[in-house]
Amino acid sequence: MATLTIDGQLITVPDGTRLFDACREARGEDLPHFCYHPDLSVAGVCRLCQVEIEGLPKLTIACNTTVRDGMVVQTRSKRVQQAVQQILEMHLINHPVDCPICDQAGECGLQDQYMAYGLYESEVAKADKVRKAKVQVIGPQVILDQERCVLCTRCVRFCDEVTGTRELGIFNRGDRAEIGVAPGRRLDNNYSLNTVDICPVGALTSRDFRFQKRVWLLRATPTICPGCATGCNLRADHEGGRIYRLVPRRNDEVNGPWACDLGRLSYKDIHAESRLAVALARGEGGLESRGWQEARAELFGLLKPGGVAFALADPRQSLEELVLFKRLGLRLAGEAQLAGGIAGEGMAESDGILLAADRRPNRQALRWLELPEIAPARLAETLRGARGTLLVFGGDPFAHAEIAAAAGRLRVVYLGTHLNATARAAQLVVPLAAWAEKDALWVNGRGRIQRGQRAVAAPGAAREDWRVLADLLDHLGDSLDLPGLAAVRRLVAQELGLADLDVLNRLPVGGLQPELPAKAPTQGE
Amino acid sequence: MSRQDCRILSARFGRPDGHRLAVYQAAGGYQALRLVLAGMKPDEVIEVVKESGLRGRGGAGFPTGAKWSFVPKTADQVYFFVNADESEPGTFKDRYLLDYDPHQTIEGTIISAFAVRANLAFIYVRGEFGWLVDRVQRAVDEAYAAGFLGRNILGSGYDLEMIVHKGAGAYICGEETGLINSVTGTKGQPSIKPPFPAVSGFLGKPTIVNNVETVAAVPWIMLNGAAAYRGFGTEKSPGTKLWSVSGPVRRQGVYEVPLGLPFREFFRDDLGGMRDGEELKACIVGGSSVPVLTAEEILSCTLDYESLQQAGTMLGSGGMIIIPQSADMVELLKVLMHFYWDESCGQCTPCREGTGWLHRVTSKLLKGEAVAEDLALLERICDGMAGLTICPLADAAVMPVRSFLKRFRGEFAARIHETAAAGSPTRWARGE
Repeated sequence: MATLTIDGQLITVPDGTRLFDACREARGEDLPHFCYHPDLSVAGVCRLCQVEIEGLPKLTIACNTTVRDGMVVQTRSKRVQQAVQQILEMHLINHPVDCPICDQAGECGLQDQYMAYGLYESEVAKADKVRKAKVQVIGPQVILDQERCVLCTRCVRFCDEVTGTRELGIFNRGDRAEIGVAPGRRLDNNYSLNTVDICPVGALTSRDFRFQKRVWLLRATPTICPGCATGCNLRADHEGGRIYRLVPRRNDEVNGPWACDLGRLSYKDIHAESRLAVALARGEGGLESRGWQEARAELFGLLKPGGVAFALADPRQSLEELVLFKRLGLRLAGEAQLAGGIAGEGMAESDGILLAADRRPNRQALRWLELPEIAPARLAETLRGARGTLLVFGGDPFAHAEIAAAAGRLRVVYLGTHLNATARAAQLVVPLAAWAEKDALWVNGRGRIQRGQRAVAAPGAAREDWRVLADLLDHLGDSLDLPGLAAVRRLVAQELGLADLDVLNRLPVGGLQPELPAKAPTQGE
Repeated sequence: MSRQDCRILSARFGRPDGHRLAVYQAAGGYQALRLVLAGMKPDEVIEVVKESGLRGRGGAGFPTGAKWSFVPKTADQVYFFVNADESEPGTFKDRYLLDYDPHQTIEGTIISAFAVRANLAFIYVRGEFGWLVDRVQRAVDEAYAAGFLGRNILGSGYDLEMIVHKGAGAYICGEETGLINSVTGTKGQPSIKPPFPAVSGFLGKPTIVNNVETVAAVPWIMLNGAAAYRGFGTEKSPGTKLWSVSGPVRRQGVYEVPLGLPFREFFRDDLGGMRDGEELKACIVGGSSVPVLTAEEILSCTLDYESLQQAGTMLGSGGMIIIPQSADMVELLKVLMHFYWDESCGQCTPCREGTGWLHRVTSKLLKGEAVAEDLALLERICDGMAGLTICPLADAAVMPVRSFLKRFRGEFAARIHETAAAGSPTRWARGE
């Protein structure tokens, strides 16, 4: 451990701590900076995190300094303040100051630092500024504005060090230096939107989010990415019931500070035209909308113990939902006619960074709950001679032609979010909430339970899944007394054999990797 | 002692075919290497160089022996670089050393590399010195053929490979970490320190970078001893120094004189004073990056590290630019600012933006478009650059500005455009 004095305050930190981090701890806020990023190598080029260290004649940048025992550091002395202001001025002299049309406005490092350290009159006439290229499309997701760039090199280091794809570089030198794409290449990797996040200014903007919404109007809700078994922690930025972007939330146990582009664009599904907003029932002219009471009665009529040929869930459903569905399936169809999903669905290649081979967010929960997956051919075979109702909870099994063909004689009840092949073939469709429209638990491939919160309301008459399932169970005489989610989560804890039944109601922000009883071993990704 | 006796580094300058191995050997060349490899240990070489008081001749004047001793003794691989990327405006001594007597530098490099236990040495030659690259390469080839390079040199068991590397023409690659990056194949720009190259340099291994003139002095020191070297110069500035002199003096060129020589004497006896009709106004004594001195100031200096420092400047690279009364200091500063603006690598914001800003403001001054506040602005820009960057290029740009303004303010004030202050469209931000 090293004990040092920062702004007169004694602070003890582990040996090897970066002075930058020690200063953050002592000050309660970061030193001004653009280039430093805890997950990238040190560039030391923005020169803003200057501090005064006793015994050293020159100011020193904190990001490239390791703490020493007995160090005496000033971060707010007049000399430091003056240097920071001057360096900030250098950052701004060639900046276009086009904040009114810049997407970064409101979350911009330059604006923040200027309010803290700047507040001077500009000395550089507009005509004297160095002009550079604007609106350069450098990849499928990202647009570059050279004039706004402060050349902190974070994006370059990201592509060198995190993705290893090395698309970006700095070309030319002096005040002609610019970020650019290597000849013949584009910024086209599955993590390119992270460069937009780490860009401290508005030089890199997201083509998806560009000009969609001023950032200060957005509200943030913590969610979990539904895109794969990694379960990246995301923040949904939304306003007026609409999600405008997903950005990563740091969780060092899961995704660090990053998330992949696929996952970040997954919100588009939520606002897709095919979303189900009302209950549908098959009438003379095909699927017709139904009020909830009507639909509920029809649902109860279709789902009777012994009358259900098969109950099929999907690993995109949450942990609570799967627990309730398993209970329901056992009651309605029995263990042999119950599956957690279609085997092999959603399997692709891992990219070795965050994107897992398993593109389902909750397959681990199926393993825990011993809900087996069933191969399409086997399911088709099972359904071929069957009579009664086929209950489908999420997913789209009818996308497999053989299943759709084999289920021709069955009455399909579909509980889901989108008007897909299964819904189109259904007798009754109950609209449900999508992942960001409900508070739910997800078990990632490593067996970590994480909670995503409700960012926006479900459309129209779509209901939270657990309420529909609990209602059904109640109707079937399974008196669970589930007045709210907390009770559902106690039930889940009980189902998993967790000693503390309330542990899921007190989940830490970063999630929980519980020790499960031996019967449900955690498998690899 | 006659001036001729002081010629250590330049002893063979001008000799016919002086760049040939045979000529160098006939004049006692490679005797120092034989002596060192016959019985000295690397640390003993370092000790001798330490005792000699030899200081880095590239500009910073850091004690050479001390720099060598920073290499961790446990290092499994060490690299040695000779910095021949001579691009400081006003400096052309290394070019002479490599042109007239390349073997002296090669011999010095072998001994220096031996001292730091390096088995691979690079001579990084400035890109613009095209012909020189060929000359040095031919000399290296000769040294290989004669067994002074390669495996088991002179039967000593010491191996050294030497690569002549041609730069691509960037001032910043003369900065040691920029030079290492350039050879590595990455962008030629300085690295952040720490770590220092002596600990982690080329390919992450300890690396020593020395100026041509520094290593060229090593053979003489090994042959004649540290005490003999200290026989030249002053106590704190031992030895001799090459000065490359430009400007309207009677005899421009490269001179080797003992450190501590009074400038007045050097100016009168060696340079022959100013040309007819010219008068000494100022002198940039150590390359364009050191503060300018007035005629009065420089005439009272002796040419050594301490005296020049006391006068407010630095010995630097020994690139002496003599400035006559007829010179326009505003124009001269603008030309220098163009250089630093052009050569800034652009990674550190204060340097990238500051050099451009200085260039724009000095350009305005020259064109008569500057207003009174622009002089203060120049100084304020300097405050935002000095000492705040990774490498000294920003300081190198700042020192001329500050010293020109301090010593020749009148010339700058005379260029202020009086009416501009009243309502120039370029002063929009001030609300004037």
